[in-house]
Order: sequence, then structure tokens, then C-alpha cells
Amino acid sequence: MTNPQTPTDTVITLSSVTKRFGATTALNGVSIEVERGEIVVLLGLSGSGKSTLLRHVDGLEQPTDGSIKVLGENVAGLSGRPLRTLRSKVGFIFQQFELVPSLSVLENVLTGALATLRGPRLGLWSYGRANKLAALGHLDRVGLLDRAYQRADTLSGGQQQRVAIARALMQNPEILLADEPVASLDPESSDQVMALIREIALDRGLTVLCSLHQVDLALSWADRIVGLRHGEVVLDTPTVGLTKAQVMEIYGRVATTTSELQAIEAELLVGSIPDSAR
Amino acid sequence: MSTATRTSAVRRAGSRSGAREPSGPQTPPGSAAVRAPRRRISPERVAAALTLVALLAASIVALNSIGIDPAKMARSWSNAERFFGRVGAITFPEPGELLYFTALTVGLVICGTLLAAVISVPVAYLAASNTTPGNGWRAFARFFGVLTRSIPDVVFAMVFVLIFSLGALPGILAIGIHSIGMISKMFADAIEQIDEGPRLAIRAGGGSKLQEFTAGVLPQVMPSWVATVLHRNDINLRGSVILGYIGVVGLGMQMSFAFKSLDYGLGLGYAVVIFVLCVAMEVVSSAVRAAMLGIQPTGRGLGDRMLRGLRRIRPGSERLGVQAAAASPAAMLRRPWNGERVRNTVWGWIAAAVVVGSILICDIQWGDFITVWAKVPEIAAQFWPPSFGSYDASAMFEAMGETISIALAATLLTVIVSIVVGSLAARNVAPTRGVRAGMRLLLVVVRGIPEIILAIVLIVISGLGTQAGTIALAIGGVGLLGKLLADSFEEVKAGPERALTAAGASRLQVYAGATVPQGLRAMIGHTFYMIDCNIRSATLLGIVGAGGVGYYLLNASQGSHYGIVTAIVLMILVTVLLVEGLAIWMRRVFR
Repeated sequence: MTNPQTPTDTVITLSSVTKRFGATTALNGVSIEVERGEIVVLLGLSGSGKSTLLRHVDGLEQPTDGSIKVLGENVAGLSGRPLRTLRSKVGFIFQQFELVPSLSVLENVLTGALATLRGPRLGLWSYGRANKLAALGHLDRVGLLDRAYQRADTLSGGQQQRVAIARALMQNPEILLADEPVASLDPESSDQVMALIREIALDRGLTVLCSLHQVDLALSWADRIVGLRHGEVVLDTPTVGLTKAQVMEIYGRVATTTSELQAIEAELLVGSIPDSAR
Repeated sequence: MSTATRTSAVRRAGSRSGAREPSGPQTPPGSAAVRAPRRRISPERVAAALTLVALLAASIVALNSIGIDPAKMARSWSNAERFFGRVGAITFPEPGELLYFTALTVGLVICGTLLAAVISVPVAYLAASNTTPGNGWRAFARFFGVLTRSIPDVVFAMVFVLIFSLGALPGILAIGIHSIGMISKMFADAIEQIDEGPRLAIRAGGGSKLQEFTAGVLPQVMPSWVATVLHRNDINLRGSVILGYIGVVGLGMQMSFAFKSLDYGLGLGYAVVIFVLCVAMEVVSSAVRAAMLGIQPTGRGLGDRMLRGLRRIRPGSERLGVQAAAASPAAMLRRPWNGERVRNTVWGWIAAAVVVGSILICDIQWGDFITVWAKVPEIAAQFWPPSFGSYDASAMFEAMGETISIALAATLLTVIVSIVVGSLAARNVAPTRGVRAGMRLLLVVVRGIPEIILAIVLIVISGLGTQAGTIALAIGGVGLLGKLLADSFEEVKAGPERALTAAGASRLQVYAGATVPQGLRAMIGHTFYMIDCNIRSATLLGIVGAGGVGYYLLNASQGSHYGIVTAIVLMILVTVLLVEGLAIWMRRVFR
């Protein structure tokens, strides 16, 4: 890599990545490049391969075929300490938040710092004052400083997702991956969380790769949309000037089964777009 | 569509699904009886069912051979009368002595349980499918667990009494090693049941394997682990009595001395003390569970019940609300001292004090750990090779047979009583709430009685051996199996029961048609667990004079014929492993 600070350098490169689980093909020759600072949405129905793709970027899955480069490193070839270091630079936000329910909010945030620490940690005291202060700062950023010492499972879903964002920030990441971050939240919390992710990303110049299934949300939120269907990229376009009808038309063209068409129709009805779009 | 074409269509369908062809003129072609696929009977299910029947038959034969019949029991009642006439009043040791031996027993048991808990953490880590580094490690950890569980703690104690000087250490080590089996299994089960999400999140953030375990797994399993350790501590306290018979200090030893010197009043006095101590320990562990873990006392044990009674008087106010609005991260660095934190800290220090106190009162001779190694080869040589010594091999097998008979007969009695009591104690079966409450109370009281104490007292009072032991095991079993059955019945899905009730079935029909079929698998599982427990207990009953192989075990150890000890342990081991394998097979077949 020549200069990582160049605004146009590529931080994520997938080159014809294929992933098979037994007989099923989750990803089929996917190639995507993401530039530093881009906010990209992976759009697709459930089972289209969005989660699998995200997990590959963080080295949680190994591709059957193809290569993945993240921040200049070849993910598939990494293990042990180098893999952990790379993972620490990539924050991951899950649909189900995945906080440790019985730990305090603060300790959950602190677990984001584990990659920079050696050995096991249990209990707030074991993370040290500097880390605690940083974690409290991140909690302040997501607006939950006053909840620091509560058990994580006493918070609402939206609050838990904000804690998860603070945990990702604790890693001091360069890339933020989010797997359906608002699928388990009510509309109001969804708006809050999505707005927060975008704000933080712009503040810190983070690259964001976020999977969603709502076309409206993706259009209003992302800079660019990558559409997946059956593990293949069917759409890759900036959102500027793009309408929902156009997106749905593309999906309609490639749809093959009735259930897919029904799902697309349902999506259209939600957005109350005329049926002619199909 | 003509009839002919319809019939041929049916034929085709029938032959495809492997059903019988229409059999006679009585059955109209195309009727449901014809089209119904034949019930498939797998040979494995048949074999399992036959095994169950064979076991039942063996149990009935065993019950007969032991000769438990009411007439004989009634006759032995005169023994009891004479006994009480001879003993006079129950006497207690002087308070200072009593206090010391009580503290020593409790301390020894706590030390042993904690030792097992510490060793169980790595064993469970290797044995749990989601944390194990490899299948080889997993098999090793499981085998280690099964081995420690299958060898009675009495045998470990015999060995350690030989190696170490008399005192608390042999008891601690015996309890510590024997308990690894159960604790590590429960620990591993808890690890396998965790939510993998938080662990994945820590991996995604760059955490190492060890960090995944401490930050993602440990916090999730901790409540279950603490509950397991407390539960095992109760079991170990009950079991510590018998260790006294082979030279481990504490209340059990004092009791055995009293009985050996024919001071029955004092012996029974110690029995009462141990009984009260067991109940008190159950109350305490329930309180600790509630206080340390915030687990509400919802259990049905004696301790939970008493604690709920107390809670009702003083309803606790939960303070989960928002803490004082925080000004800045720096101001929040110190965790506020709210009620919860004060409570946790106080309980933490009390727990630490109890552990330190336990270690201190055991007066462990740490120097022993350095000097024993020289003795190990010599002692190991005494235990090998296994032999039956001066005993006839057939006599030994007969004794083992008697032990198995006691276990099977006791299980049969337990199952019969437990099905009645356990059913009536289930909310969805009991005719009235009063009946359920009464049965639950009965189960709690029975479970509070340590069966080994019951056996000792019955043997001493009635003068009978095997019968008294069998009855003690059977009574002790009802407390456990009755509770397990009642819980299983309450856990069945309510839908089928409601459906049958709606269809006009009587209460008994609902029970037989919906409740029992749903609970059957659990019933079989629990019954095999019972056989498993009873075989282990039955091997020990002989030590207190209730017949079976335990008598020879004690004799061999006291006569320093350690080859015989090894031979008996191997017999026990084979039996226990067979039963365990059978239980695993049954659970798999009747899934």
C-alpha cells in the first residue's frame, strides 16, 4: 500500500469470493471494492448472503474461493495475533447486539479493548484506569454515560445497540461493519441508531459496510448501495438520484421465484409506490 | 372419476408408501384402514423395550430375594422397642466439642467442594463442545469426569488415609476428586448452553480464545456454576458422614466411634446433629444463591421455601432505576456505592471469610504434599494387582449381586411411590391445590433426610441389615425422583391436555393420554439416573452394615488387603459404567 491516508484508497477488496456451506452456495463470485470513508449498504432479502459477506470481511469465515483484502491485509491468510490485530481495526455491530447480559454496560464497552490487552480480563478493575476513562467517553458519545454501571440486560433494545456501538468504538476502528443493526428495534430506536452510526462515521472518517433489507432506509442513509441476490451482486450504484422504483425494478427483473416477487411487492406496498414499478 | 381408476390410484399410492394391499372383502378398497401406513418398529426400540422389561423383572426378583415383607417388618418392631429400652435417652456431646466437630465437618466439605470446583473449570472447558480445542481433548475430559464420578469417594478416602496422616486432608482430597465428575459435567453443560453471540462479538473485536472465555463465557455461566457448587456442597455434606467410618475426621467419625463403643444414645445424638446440619446447609445455600446471584428463591427445596417465607414479610424494593445524572466521564470513573454494590461487597467478604475459615479449621498439613510422593510407589504397589485374597470369587460376585439387588429393589419401590406422589405433586395433575401443596411438602421433607443417616438409624434400631438399607435408599429416592417427576409433568405442553379436556376426557384420561406420554422420556431418564445413584449408594451401604459389596470393601481396607479393594473397585466401576451406558442408550432410543 502506498499511502493509507489518501482519501481514495481502497480499504476493502473482495475479488470473486465464493463461499459454500455443504451443498448451498452462500456467496457466488462476489467482487466489491470499498473506498476509505464510504458509507455502503448491502441490500438484499434474508438469505441473500449479506451476513456471510460481512463475516468474511472480519475473518470470521474463510472463503471457499477468491480473496479478501482488508486494510491492505489478505484476511484469508491471517491467524493468531495478526488476525486479532486486524479484527480490532474492524468494528462489528450485530443484529442482536450481542452484549454479555450479566456484565455492566461499562464492562461490555471495555471488552472492545481486549485486542490491545494481553491475557484474560474479568471485572472492571482489570482493564485499568485509562481504558475505563476511554470507555466512559464512548458511552458519553452514545448518550448512555449515566447507565455505565447498570447490567446490560436492563437496557432497552435501542440502548443496548448504542452500547454495542460504544464497544465497537472502543476498538478504535477504521472500518465499521453492521449486520442488520436495526432489524430488532422499533422504528424510533431504529432512526436513532442509524443516525448515530452515520454521525460517528462522518466524525471519525470511518468506512461503513452495513447490511439492510429496507430499501427506503438504504436510499436515505447510504452513499452507495450494493444489491445481493442468491449470493450474487445484482446492483452496485451510488444512491444519488436513485429512486426506490428503480431499485425495485432491478430486483424485479432478476427475481425468479414467486416468493421473491411477493417479498418485493410487500416492500413496495410499505413505501406506497405505484404498482407499475414492477 | 370412476371407482376403478380411484382404486388403482390408491393402489399406486399404497405401494409407493409401502402400505399393505387391500386384505379382504370386509375392508372396502380405499378406506383409511387400508391406506394407513404400517407402524414402523425399529429393532433398537424393541431391544430397548425388552431391556426395560428385563430390568423390571430383575427388580421384582431382587425385591423378593431381599425379603421386604410387612410381616417381617412388624416382627422387627419388637427389636426397635427393645433397642429404645436399652438405649434410654438420646444424648448429645458437650457444646464445645459439638461446635468444633460441626465446624470441622463443614470446613472440610467446603474445602473439598471448592477444590473440585477449581479443577472442574479446565476439565469443563475441554469437555464442552463449543470450547474444546479438539475431539481428543474432549474425550479425555469426559472420560476423566466419568472416572472420578464412578469411583466412590470412600475409595479415594481409603487411599488418601493411607498416604496422608489422619486428619482432614484425606477427606478434602476424596471429596475434591470424586466431585469433579458431577461438577465438571454440569459446568460443561452450562458452557454448551450459552448464547454464542456475545462470545462471537468478542472474537470479532479481536479477543483471544482465553479472553473469549473470560469475558464472553464466564459471565454467562457464573450463576449456574455457583448454583452447581452449592448443590454439590449439600451432597458432599451428606456424604461426609460415611467418610467418618474409614477415618476421616468430623461428625461422621464421632458417630461411628459412638456406635462402635455401643454408646447408642450418643450415636443417635450425632445423627440428629448431622440431620439438622444438612437442613441448615440447604437453607444457607439457598440464601446464598438468592443473595449473591439475585436469583429469586423459586426452587422447591426446604431452604428456598423458608427464604420465600421471610421475603414475604419484607418485600425487597428493586433499585434498577437510572443513577444520578452523570456530568462527565471522569466523574463516573468511580462506581457509585448503591445498595446493590454494598450488598455484593458484603456477601463477597463473607464468602471469602467462610473459605479462609474452612481452610484454617481443617488445619491442613501442607508439608504432607512434599513428603507423600516418596510413599506413593510403595502404596500403589499394595493396591496392585487386584485379587480376591482369601475370599472366594463367587462370594464376591454374590456380594456385588446383592448390591445390585438392593439398588434395583430400592429403585422399584422408589418408582412406584414416586409416580403416585410425583403425579399428585404436579400442578397439572393434582386434583386440588391442597393435595399438590401437601405432596410437595412431603417431598421436601423426605429430601431433607440424608439417606445414609436414615440407613444407619434404621439398621441400629431394627437390627435388620439389607432390608433396612433398601428401605433407606427407597425413601431417600422418593425425595429426588418424586420431585423430578413432578417437575417433568409440570413442564409438559399444556395444549394436548386442554385438547383432551375439551374433547370430554376425564381427569385420569387426560393424565394417561396427554401428561404421561409427554413426560415418558423424562420419566425413563430420571429412573435410570435413580438406578445409577442407587448403585453408587448401595456399594457404600455395606460399610454401615446393610449388606452387599461395601462390607467387604471396608473389611479389606481395615485388614490392609488393598488388592481386594482394587478388585472390588473394578467391579463397582464396571457396573456403574454399564448402567451409565445403558442409561445413555435408553435416553437416545426413547427420544
